[in-house]
Parts: sequence; C-alpha cells; structure tokens
Amino acid sequence: MTNENEFTGADILLKALKDQEVDTIFGYPGGAVLPIYDAIFGQNFLKHVLVRQEAGAVHAAEGYARSSGKVGVLLVTSGPGVTNVVTGLTDALMDSIPIVCISGQVPSHLIGTDAFQECDTTGITRPCTKHNYLVKDVSKLSETIHEAFKIASSGRPGPVLIDIPKDVQFAKSKYISKKDISFREHRIKAGSKNVDKIFVEELVNHIKKSERPIFYVGGGCLNSGHQASQELIKLVNKTNIPITTTLHGLGCFPGEDKSSLGMLGMHGNYEANLAMNKCDLMINVGARFDDRVTGRLDAFSPDSIKFHIDIDQSSINKNVKVNFHTNTDITLTLKEINSFIDSNNIDFGDKDYSNWWGQINEWRKKECLHYEQGDEVIKPQHAISRLYELTKQKDTFVTTEVGQHQMWAAQYYKFSKPNRWITSGGLGTMGFGMPAAVGAQMANPDSLVIDIAGEASFLMNIQEIATAVQYKLPIKIFILNNEYMGMVRQWQELLHGSRYSESYVDALPDFKKLAESFNAVGVRAKNVSELDDTINEMISIDRPVIADIWVDKKENCFPMIPSGAAHHEMLLSKYDKENPENQEKGKVLV
Amino acid sequence: MSSTSVYPTPINAFKQSKRSVLSVIVDNEPGILARIVGLFSGRGYNIEALNVTVVDVKKNLSRITIETLGEEKVISQIIAQLEKLVPVHSATNLAYLSESYEAEICLVKIEFENEEQDQKILNFADIYRSRTVQKRQNVVVYEISGTSERINKFLDDLDTIGGIKVELVRSGPIGLGI
Repeated sequence: MTNENEFTGADILLKALKDQEVDTIFGYPGGAVLPIYDAIFGQNFLKHVLVRQEAGAVHAAEGYARSSGKVGVLLVTSGPGVTNVVTGLTDALMDSIPIVCISGQVPSHLIGTDAFQECDTTGITRPCTKHNYLVKDVSKLSETIHEAFKIASSGRPGPVLIDIPKDVQFAKSKYISKKDISFREHRIKAGSKNVDKIFVEELVNHIKKSERPIFYVGGGCLNSGHQASQELIKLVNKTNIPITTTLHGLGCFPGEDKSSLGMLGMHGNYEANLAMNKCDLMINVGARFDDRVTGRLDAFSPDSIKFHIDIDQSSINKNVKVNFHTNTDITLTLKEINSFIDSNNIDFGDKDYSNWWGQINEWRKKECLHYEQGDEVIKPQHAISRLYELTKQKDTFVTTEVGQHQMWAAQYYKFSKPNRWITSGGLGTMGFGMPAAVGAQMANPDSLVIDIAGEASFLMNIQEIATAVQYKLPIKIFILNNEYMGMVRQWQELLHGSRYSESYVDALPDFKKLAESFNAVGVRAKNVSELDDTINEMISIDRPVIADIWVDKKENCFPMIPSGAAHHEMLLSKYDKENPENQEKGKVLV
Repeated sequence: MSSTSVYPTPINAFKQSKRSVLSVIVDNEPGILARIVGLFSGRGYNIEALNVTVVDVKKNLSRITIETLGEEKVISQIIAQLEKLVPVHSATNLAYLSESYEAEICLVKIEFENEEQDQKILNFADIYRSRTVQKRQNVVVYEISGTSERINKFLDDLDTIGGIKVELVRSGPIGLGI
C-alpha cells in the first residue's frame, strides 16, 4: 500500500535541502549513499559537484560557506568516505564555518557488526562537530535536517553531521517542511537577543576616558554578517581608534584605511603588536585570544582594560581574563554602541588620540613589512604585492594553503570587504586552499578566485584540479614555489640549528606539465622580469590555471613573535637575535 | 562551598576542598553521556565521580551530576563548554547556589572474624547511622548516605579495625539546589 504523502528517506533529504535553499552540494558516491545519489539523478534544483577525494568536498563546502555566507553542504559515503572528512570537519569547527555533512551508514541491522565500510561515524566525529546525529527512524529525518541547518548557522557557526543508514534512505515517511518545525530554544544556542546596555554604556565611558584605545577584531565579526563590518567602520570613523584584525578578521575593516594597523599576532605588524602591548583600552570584537595572537600570556597587554564581544560564552575568560563582556551578537551590539553615541551627542572630535597616533606612527616607521627585491630572484613578498596590485581592481576572492605563503598573503594582500579571504587559521590545514577555491568559485561564478599556495600544501589535495576542470571553474593556483615546507624550514633555522630535517620537497612535479595533463593551463615565472606578465596571463585565461612562481628558497617570514615571546619582543628580520631564554621555552611550544 | 549534607557530618573538611559538583540537565538522547565524557577527556579535565539518571520521563530529561577538581577559572570554563553542547539545558555549579544539598549513597560489605571486630563495626555503624541491609554469621552489609566526606570518614574509621575485609560501591555525589 503506497501513500502519496509519503516519501523515501532519500527524497525527504532532497526536499529538505530544497527547503533550505541549498543549490550546490559537494560529494563523492559510494555504496551507503546510492539511494541518495539516485534521488539526485532525478532532479534539477541541486547542482552536485563531484570531487576527487572526500577531503576536497569538505574544504570546498567551507570555501563555499565562507565566500557566500550560506551553509556549505557535502555528501559522503560510510566508512572511508566519512573518515576522509574528519580533518575538514575539525577545520570548520576551529574556524566557525557553517557546514552540514550528510554521510551514509550501513543498514541499521548491520550497525555494530563490523560490516563492510562500517565505522562509528557519530563516535569519530563527535569531538570535531558542533553536533551530530545518527538517524535511525525515517520519521525523524525532516526534523533532524532542519535542526542541523539551524544549529550549523546559529550562534557561533560550525559543522554538523547527519549519518543516515541505508535502510532509512529507502524507508518511507511524511515530509515536514522547515516552516512547520518549531525548534527547541535550548538546542539552538543562538546567543542573547538583548543588547547589554550596561556593557555599551561602560564601553563608551571607557572610550571617553582612555588615552590609548585599540580595536582587536576577529572572525566573529565576519560571522555576524556584512552589517557588522558596516557598523564597525562607522564606529572606527567616529572615534578615530586604531584597529587591528586577526588572520580571520582581515576584510572586516578595509586593509588600506589609515586607521588599520593590519594583522596582529605571530606574523602580524610591528605597530599592531606594540599597540596591543601598550594600549590602555582593548575592545575585542569577535576574537578569541588565540595563542598565535597573544604570544606569551603573562606579558599580554598588561595595562589595558579589556572589553570582549563574543557570542560564544566559552570564549570569555578562557585564555585572557577580561573586565567586561557580552554574549550578544556583534552586529546588534555595535549598532547599539553607534546609536548610543549618536543619541547622546557624544563627540570624540576633541579626543583624537594624537599622542597615541604619534606613538603608533613612530612604530610604523620601522616599516616591518619592508623587503629588498633584487633584479633576479623573485622575493615571495614581492610576488604577493604584485598579485595584489594587478588584481585589486577586480572582484577577487583569495584562498590559501598553510605556511609561509599564507602569512605573506595575509601581510601583503589587502582586503577591503569581508568574506573575500578564505584561509585555514585554527587548525592550519595544508591542502585547504585549492578545494576551498573550488567552493568559492561555485558560489561566485563570475569572480576571480585565486588560491595562494605553496608547492608542498598544493600537493596535498592536487587531485581537485580535475574537479575544477570538469566544472569549468577558472580558479587560479598561484604557487610560491621554494621547494621547501617553508614554515617548517624557518622554524628549523630559528630553533633547531638549521638542521633541515625532511623539510626539503624533493622530486617535485613539473607544475606546468602537470596542469596540461589535467587539461588545465600551466604558466611559470622564473625571475622577477617575468612576474607581471605571468600574473596577467594567469588572470586573462578563462580556465583553471596553475602558476608556478619560483621564489627565493631561503626567505623567511618576518616580522615574527617567536613562540614563548611577548608582543614587544618581535623579531623584525633575520638580523634580530632572539632572547636565548625565550628560545629554549619556545622550542617546546607550537 | 555552600552545599550541606542531608545527614550530620562528623567533620567539615569538605568545605575547604577544591572539588566542585556540577549538576547538568540534558535531553535524554543517544550519545549525550559520550559528549560530556568526551568534553572532559578532550580538554584535559578530570571526572572524580559521575552519576546519570532519567529524572523526567515525560520531558525526556536526565540529570547528570559530575564531581570534578579545579580552580574557579577552570570550573567556569567547564560550565561554559557544557552549555555549548546541543542537548544540554543547563549546567550549574552547586557551590554557586545560595543553598544546595548533596548526598551520596554507599553500600559496604564487611567480612569479620570475631566478636570484638563485630562490636567495633556496630559501634561505627551506629555513630554514622548506617542502615543494616543484611547480616549473616561473619558478614554484614550496611547502607550509608550523606556527603561524600561523611562516607570517607566512615570508611576511614572502619579502616582502624584490624583484620576485616571491606568491599564497597558508591553512587558518587548527587545534589540539588533550593
């Protein structure tokens, strides 16, 4: 007996995805998801992007989510399919990226029998997701999917996984649409809807009193939406307070604005780190006092009153004790601060912090990002600077892999808008950038998407170039090729007596020929005179391009706060000597 | 520490200790205990004792009571992390409530050899108002309740009796605020 109001689990999944306005899904088929793939075959609202390895699917979903502000979705099979996405789920958890992962599972009656391609998916992914589900009853499927999307995108966003046994994909039930689901408040963790007026008033009073204030802005500002960034710009312009951003905060505030001190932290700008060290008022907007940012904790910004806006309660007082905090959404809070200032006619006109800016401008004179570009060998910094100059007029998204090239990209590529910079910060996942570029290009088909890469990271997910070719995604892989795992080599030079143990990448492929073998295009710049032409050629080609840029093999990434050192103990160049005591302590840190 | 025992306790040492008892209300669903235990092990916290039971069948709620050690900063972080878990309704440090009570239950089986030992055991059992569950020729089972400290003290006292054999099971502390 068939009931026309009943649908198979696979069809319910598709209906729910449509209801959630999902138009793109990254995936790889396998035995335990065949019913879902069969349902995908018979529809046309959902574009499926076939990746070449599941790790590619999860990073592509991250790139899609970061560049679009929507939830990224992926579909993988049981066993190895889902264990391959564990790294990406952890990456999304660390960097607060909303994704939903659908995984197939062996049929219910085989669970626990060590069946073919069975693994304890919910067990394995429990610590690397915001939440996960094993759906054993098809009647719970609609509700579970809608709750998963809600949880992934609410409060502090993150990855959610739904494991669906094969028999549940075949079983039939009614579909419950999104609008008919009432979410249980305690499960959504959306943060407070009410602005903390006392916090706002205290903050404005402290801004009035302070002599050396600073904004310290992180990825939370990004996750709060574009309006957060608009409100932030308003507030900075009103108050003339300097602003520094974390790696993920880049783009929340225009990088070329006079109030921007650039990125802070281990490879942050000298002026940004010194200002953090000497400030008397720190306003943290959606940043989490990460160890890459704070340096040695006992010497972190010793004289400041600290305000912290973060939707995640567990970020408050975790690493650094703050004086005032609020768990309300950043957009709402910044809006309230702006309107409080306006409605009370508070004028910061006479309070222009001229002494503070004078001091900051002294620090700026150090020109911490200065480098000498000779006539022959391309300096990696120069390659990024030229890439920026030649692409800044375009509608550009930049993804990165992990290592020296990533830090140089953060230092020399300036972002004026949020969501244009897609990088793996918390987990530091090599191999992230290329699949993330695939995702970003799917979400923004008419934009220029560049993966700034190192040759070692690129090799980790190189198979995804085939995905880019298949879907005609004209992504650009801009490899700063120094034949080393550059950041590993740099640490070995600084901390391990230049013993370059296993950090030389021998037997590299010819990236130009490699591109051609995938039916992509390869270009190369061997010296500085070829650089601009190569970049221009890369941009002009409407197909996937691998640009192999040969850069100085021995260049190190400066400035640098060595592990275990404090903000004011930065090294500006290889000629700066590190305090030997810090060096010994730093060795044991990461 | 504002928790008080439902039974009188011979000493009050418990008040100075750095232990905390956390009371967590959760949706009773598969994997919730694993989430909580995983949070503790993954972030390097200790579980000294753990108790899990359904407390509301209609609303499908369980109460999980966790005894843990740590300074105030760590306990606050644990609570914030617990409250981030999707099925968690609330996590409360009983010490932060203005008034809370806690109790633990312990079953002790004592094997003894002679009259003198029996008398001493009886004496302690009486002081601590233990309930006799079963008594045979050379073995007695008591049930004792109260704060964990009270039970510790009882066990310490039993320890002073030479030549007896003790086997026991403890529920771990449970607590409730008023």
